[in-house]
Amino acid sequence: MFSQASHNSRLSAVGPVPGSTEIVTRVHELIADLRPDNVDLLEAFHRVQHEYGYIPREAIPLLAARFNTTPAIVFGTIDFYSELHTNPPADDVVEWCSGPACLLKGSLGIRRALEAVLGCAMNRATPDGKFELRLAQCDGTCHLAPLVRHKGKYIGPITSSQAIEWARALKGVPAAAAAEPPTDAAPSANGDGA
Amino acid sequence: MASYEEIRAAADRAWAPFADPKRTLIKVQDAMCSRSAGAAETLAAIREAVRSRNLDADVMVTGCMGLCYAEPVVEVLAPGAPSVYYQHLTAEKVPALIDAVAQQGIASGLALAVNADEGWGDIPPLDSLPFWRGQVRRLMDNCGVIDPENIDHYIARGGYEGLVKALAVGGEAVIKEVLESGLWGRGGAAFPTARKWEFLRGSDRHPKYMICNADEGDPGSFVNRNLLESDPHSTVEGIIIGGLASDADKGYVYIRDEYPLPVARVRLAVEQAREKGFLGENILGSGFNFEIEVIRGAGSYVCGEETGLIASLEDRRGMPKIKPPFPAQAGVFAQPSNVNNVESYASAPMIMREGAAWYASVGSEKHKGTKMFSLSGQIQRPGILEVPLGTPMSDLVIDAGGGPPEGRAIKAIQPGGPLSGIVPESDIGIPLEPDPFRDRGMFMGSGGLVVLDDTNCIVDLCVYFEWFAEDESCGRCTTCFAGTRRLLEILRRIASGRGRKADLELIRLLGDTMRNSNCVHGQAAPTSVMSMFRFFEDELLEHVERKRCPAKKCAGLIRYEVLHQSDRLSLAEAICPTGAVVNEGGTYRIDQEKCVKCDACREQAPYAIAIVDEFGP
Repeated sequence: MFSQASHNSRLSAVGPVPGSTEIVTRVHELIADLRPDNVDLLEAFHRVQHEYGYIPREAIPLLAARFNTTPAIVFGTIDFYSELHTNPPADDVVEWCSGPACLLKGSLGIRRALEAVLGCAMNRATPDGKFELRLAQCDGTCHLAPLVRHKGKYIGPITSSQAIEWARALKGVPAAAAAEPPTDAAPSANGDGA
Repeated sequence: MASYEEIRAAADRAWAPFADPKRTLIKVQDAMCSRSAGAAETLAAIREAVRSRNLDADVMVTGCMGLCYAEPVVEVLAPGAPSVYYQHLTAEKVPALIDAVAQQGIASGLALAVNADEGWGDIPPLDSLPFWRGQVRRLMDNCGVIDPENIDHYIARGGYEGLVKALAVGGEAVIKEVLESGLWGRGGAAFPTARKWEFLRGSDRHPKYMICNADEGDPGSFVNRNLLESDPHSTVEGIIIGGLASDADKGYVYIRDEYPLPVARVRLAVEQAREKGFLGENILGSGFNFEIEVIRGAGSYVCGEETGLIASLEDRRGMPKIKPPFPAQAGVFAQPSNVNNVESYASAPMIMREGAAWYASVGSEKHKGTKMFSLSGQIQRPGILEVPLGTPMSDLVIDAGGGPPEGRAIKAIQPGGPLSGIVPESDIGIPLEPDPFRDRGMFMGSGGLVVLDDTNCIVDLCVYFEWFAEDESCGRCTTCFAGTRRLLEILRRIASGRGRKADLELIRLLGDTMRNSNCVHGQAAPTSVMSMFRFFEDELLEHVERKRCPAKKCAGLIRYEVLHQSDRLSLAEAICPTGAVVNEGGTYRIDQEKCVKCDACREQAPYAIAIVDEFGP
């Protein structure tokens, strides 16, 4: 989130925009063919977020000018949608599925384990910006429940123990001594390190 | 411009090699659910193997037939043999499959079923599979059969024939036909689809918009996703037919952000339909003009509410509006609009093609036709299937889905989204149509059946539902945004062992108050909690009065303890992410201050560590 001070300064900054001129130029190009009242704002958000992984603050006044509205309205709209981000993502984003099938099969234990191993709360990044846990909505891949997603890969079904070992490997922590999965645990359907 | 007959003849020629292959055809089912299980790797491995071994075989991509439990699924059609479906065909099993294909044989160990009347050795016929047996596949007729990215396949199987008939008879006759078919909206509100089209037709303010709601936000529902990625053209054709019936000018398909593959495939389908002359100016020489645009959402549950969706299309926060005016009077950009669910639109082409009487030949007294349902949660065979409306829920959950894992009992079912309520096990036989759910103070919803078994806690689930409703509230009505917040606080208090007797009355009061919210989100947010009162009061009282969670799930009411010393406790110590398993000179104990209750230690040492409460293990 922006600090209050920078937010206020941007409100009067529809003209000259503080920040990277490269971003300003690029965003101008990205949204050049879009226009107001033509169901284009969501498309504009997606284009900018696809380019940068988030919507940089420099883009907001440009979007406001393009769509005949105010930066406050644009920011409010971005803030409304949970898949739009106003901060750069961490190097490694781990998505934890919050859906009901995962919940019933023990995803809360996995969440607690991931938070403990990665060292960040849900929807937060570690202080060094390396890892981020994100709450994901159910996308109907419930045959893999409970699952986490990492770089487009689905890892599931996993147990809390497997989640801990996977997260430790991701962080580069040496594997715990010969911790074998319990006998009643389902194997990973992906076989990709879960 | 080509006539439909010419387009159809060309499509038939393009489809023929796949319908009746003269050489081996390998069909890889490729959808989001298959990809999550590794279908993309399987496809690459099969293509590579066919190329490197110079096999006389074709490889094609299809949508998904709904057998999530068997993903990735691959079908092999060899000339002179029945087609065989293979299950769990991950990339490492591809060599075994290709060996069998190269020798004109069947890899029996990997097979799921054969597509024939009789079994093949010990491989059963597809129609005998419990998951397949009770299905009436109409919407899903093409799913897993055609290449969703090839319009010719769709046309060759009768696609766009319904549109041609609709153009011939005109909009009013289409409304009459769809009305006769008994098609009710599939999105949850269950309003006759043709009536909505009639309202829109009655307005002469142009432009008028047809909107397809593919913002399938209900967690645990994934039927629209399957249909859009496996057979996108049926929905596209349905929107054009609806547009003709309503005399509309433009269609929008609003697909949720979490569904990238459906977005891509519907966009492609729209482009292909335009190339063939099914969209654009003067469609098939009829004088009717229509366009469709695909809009990708950005992650908001209330955008599935029709006025929220309309607000989202208007470049604003997707906050539901106050009705009236209804969308047919003032929808997108204050122009007349109509919002229907994916399945409602996708049913229109077959109604026009086969006729209303054919469509109404299955279904219940009041609700005709079929509906898709998804199965997930504590069930042996999760997946997507299609049955006539009015089919008993137990047919799906017990017969098709196989019930909960071995040795456990079903406790309840969430029928269609977090706002739909909770059906207790005693009502498992109720027919799947809107009325029986309404009688019980619930909603049938969008068709995502999520199964709970006896290891799950109702309070725990209600905390999740209320968290979801609170998180997704748009913030307009105090009854909703504050009501869900208060309800969540009370439920969390109960789950943490600080529940009070007065909380029960407070919940009822809140539930009554929240029903005064503007949109269905706030109105339905307390439904699950009210179901809990009605059907699981004992379990709730156990939490409130005795501070005990019978299923041992609510974190505030349980703790982990070492009951017996065992060799496996060293594994528990190693796995614990917070160092809560403490080794004191060979005797282990759990430091309750550090324990986050992630359950990993108990997984490692299930006999030594147990979940206990005030009443013991």
